[in-house]
Amino acid sequence: MPAACRPGTAVAAAVVIGVAVVLGWRSMQRVVVAVEAGTPGGPLLGPRVRAWYKQAIGPVEDALVAWGVHPDALTWAQLGVSVLAGAAFAAGAVFLAGWLVIAAGTLDVLDGGVARRTGAASRHGALVDSLVDRYAEFATFLGLGAFFRRSWVLAAVAVACFGSLMVSYTRARAEGLGLTMQEGSVQRPERYVILGFGAWLSGLVAHLACALRGTPTHAVLAAAVVLLALLSTWTAVQRARHAVRKLDGNGRP
Amino acid sequence: MSALGPLGFLLVMLGFGLRLDTDWQGTAWVLLAAGAAAVAIAAAHRLGAPRAFVSTEGGE
Repeated sequence: MPAACRPGTAVAAAVVIGVAVVLGWRSMQRVVVAVEAGTPGGPLLGPRVRAWYKQAIGPVEDALVAWGVHPDALTWAQLGVSVLAGAAFAAGAVFLAGWLVIAAGTLDVLDGGVARRTGAASRHGALVDSLVDRYAEFATFLGLGAFFRRSWVLAAVAVACFGSLMVSYTRARAEGLGLTMQEGSVQRPERYVILGFGAWLSGLVAHLACALRGTPTHAVLAAAVVLLALLSTWTAVQRARHAVRKLDGNGRP
Repeated sequence: MSALGPLGFLLVMLGFGLRLDTDWQGTAWVLLAAGAAAVAIAAAHRLGAPRAFVSTEGGE
Protein backbone atom coordinates (compact mmCIF):
# COMPACT_ATOMS: atom_id res chain seq x y z
CA MET A 1 0.00 0.00 0.00
CA PRO A 2 1.27 3.51 -0.67
CA ALA A 3 3.32 4.94 2.20
CA ALA A 4 1.41 8.22 1.87
CA CYS A 5 -1.22 9.74 -0.40
CA ARG A 6 0.53 11.83 -3.04
CA PRO A 7 -2.27 13.00 -5.36
CA GLY A 8 -0.26 15.99 -6.60
CA THR A 9 2.59 13.78 -7.78
CA ALA A 10 0.06 11.38 -9.28
CA VAL A 11 -1.54 14.23 -11.27
CA ALA A 12 1.91 15.38 -12.47
CA ALA A 13 2.76 11.84 -13.56
CA ALA A 14 -0.63 11.51 -15.30
CA VAL A 15 -0.02 14.76 -17.24
CA VAL A 16 3.45 13.59 -18.38
CA ILE A 17 2.07 10.20 -19.41
CA GLY A 18 -0.86 11.90 -21.18
CA VAL A 19 1.51 14.05 -23.24
CA ALA A 20 3.62 10.96 -24.07
CA VAL A 21 0.50 9.04 -25.12
CA VAL A 22 -0.63 11.86 -27.46
CA LEU A 23 2.85 12.15 -29.02
CA GLY A 24 3.12 8.37 -29.28
CA TRP A 25 -0.34 8.10 -30.88
CA ARG A 26 0.55 10.74 -33.47
CA SER A 27 3.81 9.03 -34.40
CA MET A 28 2.03 5.66 -34.54
CA GLN A 29 -0.32 7.02 -37.21
CA ARG A 30 2.72 7.78 -39.37
CA VAL A 31 4.06 4.23 -39.16
CA VAL A 32 3.69 2.35 -42.43
CA VAL A 33 3.05 -1.39 -42.15
CA ALA A 34 2.69 -3.94 -44.92
CA VAL A 35 -0.33 -5.69 -43.37
CA GLU A 36 -2.64 -3.51 -41.26
CA ALA A 37 -4.99 -6.10 -39.76
CA GLY A 38 -3.76 -8.73 -37.33
CA THR A 39 -4.14 -12.34 -38.33
CA PRO A 40 -6.94 -14.40 -36.73
CA GLY A 41 -5.50 -16.11 -33.66
CA GLY A 42 -2.50 -13.85 -33.89
CA PRO A 43 -1.16 -11.59 -31.14
CA LEU A 44 -3.40 -8.89 -29.63
CA LEU A 45 -0.80 -6.21 -30.30
CA GLY A 46 -1.09 -5.66 -34.03
CA PRO A 47 1.73 -5.09 -36.52
CA ARG A 48 1.33 -1.30 -36.37
CA VAL A 49 1.87 -1.15 -32.60
CA ARG A 50 4.81 -3.52 -32.79
CA ALA A 51 6.40 -1.59 -35.67
CA TRP A 52 5.87 1.71 -33.83
CA TYR A 53 7.48 0.43 -30.64
CA LYS A 54 10.47 -0.98 -32.53
CA GLN A 55 10.83 2.40 -34.21
CA ALA A 56 10.53 4.24 -30.89
CA ILE A 57 13.28 2.22 -29.22
CA GLY A 58 15.32 2.06 -32.45
CA PRO A 59 17.72 4.83 -31.33
CA VAL A 60 18.40 2.92 -28.08
CA GLU A 61 19.18 -0.22 -30.09
CA ASP A 62 21.46 1.83 -32.38
CA ALA A 63 23.33 3.19 -29.35
CA LEU A 64 23.73 -0.28 -27.82
CA VAL A 65 25.10 -1.64 -31.10
CA ALA A 66 27.46 1.34 -31.43
CA TRP A 67 28.74 0.86 -27.88
CA GLY A 68 29.33 -2.85 -28.55
CA VAL A 69 27.02 -4.05 -25.78
CA HIS A 70 26.73 -7.84 -25.89
CA PRO A 71 23.14 -9.13 -26.15
CA ASP A 72 23.77 -11.53 -23.24
CA ALA A 73 24.35 -8.49 -21.01
CA LEU A 74 20.88 -7.23 -21.98
CA THR A 75 19.36 -10.64 -21.24
CA TRP A 76 20.89 -10.64 -17.74
CA ALA A 77 19.87 -7.01 -17.26
CA GLN A 78 16.31 -8.07 -18.10
CA LEU A 79 16.46 -10.65 -15.32
CA GLY A 80 17.82 -8.05 -12.89
CA VAL A 81 15.10 -5.52 -13.77
CA SER A 82 12.42 -8.23 -13.45
CA VAL A 83 13.70 -9.11 -9.97
CA LEU A 84 13.54 -5.41 -9.09
CA ALA A 85 9.98 -5.29 -10.45
CA GLY A 86 9.06 -8.25 -8.25
CA ALA A 87 10.68 -6.55 -5.24
CA ALA A 88 8.80 -3.32 -6.01
CA PHE A 89 5.50 -5.23 -6.18
CA ALA A 90 6.29 -6.98 -2.89
CA ALA A 91 7.07 -3.60 -1.28
CA GLY A 92 3.81 -2.09 -2.56
CA ALA A 93 5.51 0.30 -5.00
CA VAL A 94 3.04 -0.58 -7.75
CA PHE A 95 3.60 2.39 -10.08
CA LEU A 96 7.37 1.80 -9.99
CA ALA A 97 6.88 -1.95 -10.54
CA GLY A 98 4.74 -1.26 -13.63
CA TRP A 99 7.44 0.78 -15.31
CA LEU A 100 10.10 -1.77 -14.33
CA VAL A 101 7.98 -4.47 -16.00
CA ILE A 102 7.83 -2.34 -19.16
CA ALA A 103 11.60 -1.74 -18.95
CA ALA A 104 12.19 -5.51 -18.64
CA GLY A 105 9.95 -6.10 -21.68
CA THR A 106 11.90 -3.51 -23.63
CA LEU A 107 15.21 -5.19 -22.73
CA ASP A 108 13.67 -8.47 -23.92
CA VAL A 109 12.99 -6.88 -27.31
CA LEU A 110 16.40 -5.18 -27.43
CA ASP A 111 18.52 -8.28 -26.74
CA GLY A 112 17.16 -10.08 -29.80
CA GLY A 113 17.52 -6.99 -32.02
CA VAL A 114 21.10 -6.33 -30.91
CA ALA A 115 22.00 -10.03 -31.34
CA ARG A 116 20.72 -10.03 -34.92
CA ARG A 117 22.43 -6.76 -35.85
CA THR A 118 25.80 -7.64 -34.35
CA GLY A 119 25.80 -11.17 -35.74
CA ALA A 120 25.88 -12.54 -32.19
CA ALA A 121 22.63 -14.50 -32.59
CA SER A 122 23.28 -18.15 -31.74
CA ARG A 123 21.46 -21.27 -30.52
CA HIS A 124 23.28 -20.86 -27.21
CA GLY A 125 21.96 -17.30 -26.87
CA ALA A 126 18.44 -18.36 -27.84
CA LEU A 127 18.44 -21.08 -25.16
CA VAL A 128 19.80 -18.78 -22.43
CA ASP A 129 17.32 -16.08 -23.45
CA SER A 130 14.35 -18.48 -23.21
CA LEU A 131 15.42 -19.80 -19.81
CA VAL A 132 16.16 -16.35 -18.39
CA ASP A 133 12.76 -15.14 -19.65
CA ARG A 134 11.00 -17.81 -17.57
CA TYR A 135 12.96 -16.94 -14.43
CA ALA A 136 12.33 -13.24 -15.05
CA GLU A 137 8.58 -13.80 -15.38
CA PHE A 138 8.53 -15.96 -12.28
CA ALA A 139 10.42 -13.32 -10.25
CA THR A 140 7.85 -10.70 -11.18
CA PHE A 141 4.90 -12.98 -10.38
CA LEU A 142 6.52 -13.92 -7.05
CA GLY A 143 6.58 -10.27 -6.01
CA LEU A 144 3.04 -9.80 -7.28
CA GLY A 145 1.94 -12.78 -5.21
CA ALA A 146 3.60 -11.28 -2.13
CA PHE A 147 1.70 -8.03 -2.74
CA PHE A 148 -1.66 -9.87 -2.96
CA ARG A 149 -0.79 -12.45 -0.26
CA ARG A 150 -3.87 -11.63 1.83
CA SER A 151 -6.31 -11.35 -1.07
CA TRP A 152 -8.27 -13.67 -3.36
CA VAL A 153 -6.23 -12.11 -6.20
CA LEU A 154 -3.35 -14.39 -5.12
CA ALA A 155 -5.20 -17.26 -6.84
CA ALA A 156 -5.41 -15.21 -10.04
CA VAL A 157 -1.66 -14.46 -9.77
CA ALA A 158 -0.96 -18.21 -9.53
CA VAL A 159 -3.16 -18.93 -12.58
CA ALA A 160 -1.56 -16.06 -14.53
CA CYS A 161 1.93 -17.33 -13.66
CA PHE A 162 1.12 -20.91 -14.61
CA GLY A 163 -0.73 -19.80 -17.77
CA SER A 164 2.23 -17.67 -18.86
CA LEU A 165 4.64 -20.55 -18.37
CA MET A 166 2.27 -22.91 -20.23
CA VAL A 167 2.08 -20.54 -23.21
CA SER A 168 5.85 -20.80 -23.58
CA TYR A 169 6.01 -24.50 -22.72
CA THR A 170 3.36 -25.40 -25.31
CA ARG A 171 5.32 -23.60 -27.99
CA ALA A 172 8.62 -25.19 -26.93
CA ARG A 173 7.08 -28.69 -26.88
CA ALA A 174 5.36 -28.19 -30.23
CA GLU A 175 8.55 -26.89 -31.82
CA GLY A 176 10.39 -29.86 -30.29
CA LEU A 177 7.99 -32.06 -32.27
CA GLY A 178 8.86 -30.22 -35.45
CA LEU A 179 5.93 -27.81 -35.63
CA THR A 180 6.11 -24.07 -36.14
CA MET A 181 4.14 -22.11 -33.56
CA GLN A 182 3.52 -18.39 -34.04
CA GLU A 183 -0.14 -18.43 -32.95
CA GLY A 184 -1.33 -17.05 -29.64
CA SER A 185 -3.29 -13.96 -28.64
CA VAL A 186 -1.28 -13.18 -25.51
CA GLN A 187 2.41 -13.72 -26.06
CA ARG A 188 5.21 -12.19 -24.02
CA PRO A 189 4.86 -8.58 -25.29
CA GLU A 190 1.13 -8.64 -24.53
CA ARG A 191 1.84 -9.99 -21.04
CA TYR A 192 4.31 -7.17 -20.38
CA VAL A 193 1.77 -4.61 -21.60
CA ILE A 194 -1.17 -5.95 -19.56
CA LEU A 195 0.85 -6.24 -16.34
CA GLY A 196 2.99 -3.12 -16.82
CA PHE A 197 0.16 -0.81 -17.88
CA GLY A 198 -2.20 -2.31 -15.32
CA ALA A 199 0.34 -1.70 -12.56
CA TRP A 200 1.28 1.91 -13.30
CA LEU A 201 -2.35 2.83 -13.94
CA SER A 202 -3.30 1.18 -10.66
CA GLY A 203 -0.57 3.14 -8.88
CA LEU A 204 -1.95 6.41 -10.24
CA VAL A 205 -5.55 5.51 -9.40
CA ALA A 206 -4.51 4.40 -5.90
CA HIS A 207 -2.95 7.79 -5.13
CA LEU A 208 -5.80 9.77 -6.68
CA ALA A 209 -8.53 7.68 -5.00
CA CYS A 210 -6.57 7.80 -1.75
CA ALA A 211 -7.13 11.56 -1.64
CA LEU A 212 -10.86 11.18 -2.32
CA ARG A 213 -11.75 8.08 -0.27
CA GLY A 214 -9.03 8.11 2.33
CA THR A 215 -8.04 4.53 1.49
CA PRO A 216 -5.95 3.32 -1.43
CA THR A 217 -7.31 0.74 -3.86
CA HIS A 218 -5.54 -1.50 -6.32
CA ALA A 219 -8.64 -2.74 -8.11
CA VAL A 220 -7.09 -1.85 -11.48
CA LEU A 221 -4.08 -4.09 -10.84
CA ALA A 222 -6.38 -6.87 -9.61
CA ALA A 223 -8.43 -6.57 -12.83
CA ALA A 224 -5.23 -6.66 -14.92
CA VAL A 225 -4.06 -9.82 -13.13
CA VAL A 226 -7.44 -11.53 -13.64
CA LEU A 227 -7.38 -10.52 -17.32
CA LEU A 228 -3.83 -11.86 -17.65
CA ALA A 229 -4.83 -15.13 -15.98
CA LEU A 230 -7.78 -15.60 -18.35
CA LEU A 231 -5.95 -14.61 -21.51
CA SER A 232 -2.78 -16.58 -20.73
CA THR A 233 -4.81 -19.71 -20.05
CA TRP A 234 -6.81 -19.14 -23.22
CA THR A 235 -3.62 -18.69 -25.25
CA ALA A 236 -2.07 -21.87 -23.87
CA VAL A 237 -5.24 -23.82 -24.79
CA GLN A 238 -5.35 -22.09 -28.19
CA ARG A 239 -1.77 -23.18 -28.90
CA ALA A 240 -2.34 -26.72 -27.63
CA ARG A 241 -5.42 -27.13 -29.86
CA HIS A 242 -3.51 -25.75 -32.83
CA ALA A 243 -0.58 -28.10 -32.21
CA VAL A 244 -2.84 -31.16 -31.81
CA ARG A 245 -4.72 -30.27 -35.01
CA LYS A 246 -1.45 -29.92 -36.89
CA LEU A 247 -0.10 -33.21 -35.54
CA ASP A 248 -3.35 -35.01 -36.46
CA GLY A 249 -3.19 -33.48 -39.91
CA ASN A 250 0.39 -34.58 -40.37
CA GLY A 251 -0.48 -38.10 -39.26
CA ARG A 252 0.71 -39.68 -36.06
CA PRO A 253 3.19 -42.53 -36.11
CA MET B 1 21.57 11.42 -29.13
CA SER B 2 17.90 10.56 -29.83
CA ALA B 3 18.26 7.52 -27.53
CA LEU B 4 18.08 10.06 -24.72
CA GLY B 5 14.35 10.59 -25.37
CA PRO B 6 13.06 7.14 -24.39
CA LEU B 7 15.71 6.75 -21.67
CA GLY B 8 14.81 10.12 -20.20
CA PHE B 9 11.12 9.25 -20.20
CA LEU B 10 11.85 5.98 -18.36
CA LEU B 11 13.97 7.84 -15.78
CA VAL B 12 11.14 10.31 -15.20
CA MET B 13 8.65 7.47 -14.67
CA LEU B 14 11.00 5.66 -12.26
CA GLY B 15 11.46 8.96 -10.43
CA PHE B 16 7.69 9.37 -10.11
CA GLY B 17 7.48 5.77 -8.91
CA LEU B 18 10.03 6.33 -6.15
CA ARG B 19 8.37 9.63 -5.21
CA LEU B 20 4.90 8.05 -5.01
CA ASP B 21 5.54 4.86 -3.08
CA THR B 22 8.89 4.94 -1.29
CA ASP B 23 10.90 6.93 1.24
CA TRP B 24 13.67 7.44 -1.31
CA GLN B 25 12.66 11.00 -2.05
CA GLY B 26 16.21 12.24 -2.75
CA THR B 27 16.81 9.54 -5.36
CA ALA B 28 13.39 10.27 -6.83
CA TRP B 29 14.24 13.92 -7.39
CA VAL B 30 17.62 13.00 -8.92
CA LEU B 31 15.90 10.63 -11.38
CA LEU B 32 13.22 13.21 -12.20
CA ALA B 33 15.83 15.90 -12.86
CA ALA B 34 18.10 13.60 -14.90
CA GLY B 35 15.16 12.28 -16.93
CA ALA B 36 13.76 15.75 -17.63
CA ALA B 37 17.22 16.93 -18.71
CA ALA B 38 17.63 13.95 -21.04
CA VAL B 39 14.21 14.51 -22.63
CA ALA B 40 14.96 18.23 -23.05
CA ILE B 41 18.33 17.51 -24.72
CA ALA B 42 16.71 14.95 -27.06
CA ALA B 43 13.93 17.44 -27.97
CA ALA B 44 16.45 20.23 -28.61
CA HIS B 45 18.55 17.90 -30.75
CA ARG B 46 15.48 16.89 -32.77
CA LEU B 47 14.41 20.53 -33.33
CA GLY B 48 17.92 21.40 -34.51
CA ALA B 49 18.14 18.48 -36.95
CA PRO B 50 17.84 19.35 -40.68
CA ARG B 51 14.45 18.52 -42.19
CA ALA B 52 13.97 16.30 -45.22
CA PHE B 53 13.16 17.93 -48.54
CA VAL B 54 10.50 15.32 -49.22
CA SER B 55 7.00 16.12 -47.98
CA THR B 56 5.79 13.89 -45.16
CA GLU B 57 2.18 14.52 -46.21
CA GLY B 58 2.38 12.17 -49.19
CA GLY B 59 1.68 13.02 -52.82
CA GLU B 60 4.16 14.39 -55.36
